[in-house]
Amino acid sequence: MQLLNGVGFARLENAIQAAGTRQQVIANNIANVDTPYFKRSNVSFETLLQNELNGGMPTLRGYRTDSRHFIIGSSGKVPEPKITVDDRTAMNNNLNNVDIDSEMSLLAENKLRYDSYIEQLNYQIKMKRVATEGR
Amino acid sequence: MKISDSFNISSSALTAQRLRMDVISSNIANARTTRASMENGQAVPYRRKTVVMAPNSVGFGSTLDAVMGQKPATQGVKITQIAEDPTPFKPVYDPTHPDADGEGYVYMPNVDLMKEMVDMISATRSYEANITALNASKAMISKALQIGK
Repeated sequence: MQLLNGVGFARLENAIQAAGTRQQVIANNIANVDTPYFKRSNVSFETLLQNELNGGMPTLRGYRTDSRHFIIGSSGKVPEPKITVDDRTAMNNNLNNVDIDSEMSLLAENKLRYDSYIEQLNYQIKMKRVATEGR
Repeated sequence: MKISDSFNISSSALTAQRLRMDVISSNIANARTTRASMENGQAVPYRRKTVVMAPNSVGFGSTLDAVMGQKPATQGVKITQIAEDPTPFKPVYDPTHPDADGEGYVYMPNVDLMKEMVDMISATRSYEANITALNASKAMISKALQIGK
């Protein structure tokens, strides 16, 4: 029985972790807004998850008949957040590429995202509580 | 990953911007200081100071984490040195000034008030942006503490 270790829970857990990491990365970008030669970083998670759910590689997927088979294509697992550094652009004369306006909007968006994940997690916990207590 | 790391990141930036502000204040305050130091009995004017900022990377571990895509490469910002602006002093003709040379010129500090004001606004705005980031982190942690309540 998968009451608490369902994939929905795992997805939410990784999403919250990704939002936390993203908060750290954005804070770091904002902190280095005046640092010469600094290049901003980015956290991708939601698109990775979307790819995973839609089957990013639908043409190549192995059919598993045994749990010991290698996984080919989408594993059905929840992806880990990934940090990438954008070192191809430059905003200023000092080769820094932090755009403070976009960072601030990303910060606000990420906070709302995080809050909504927590709300969703709380809702799931509440549903499970209803299921276990029977009321 | 600890989310309180983002507190440290933002606070390092607040410290750096505050120090930058201190340096700017010092430049503005000394915009007409002709006797910052004495060299061979000769008064030397104040030289404008600038800060040098660098990302605060914490050694091999953080670089390895960054390459593996686990963590941002740097953890905030630091000021590596307070450098002196090498531009020449501005000569002003004022023979009545006690520090005037034989030809009546007195050398004024190489502080440009306009430049300092622009830097000051930039430092203020960066400080505010970091405060916003810090408040967002704080609100997120408070929210996470509500899980399961």
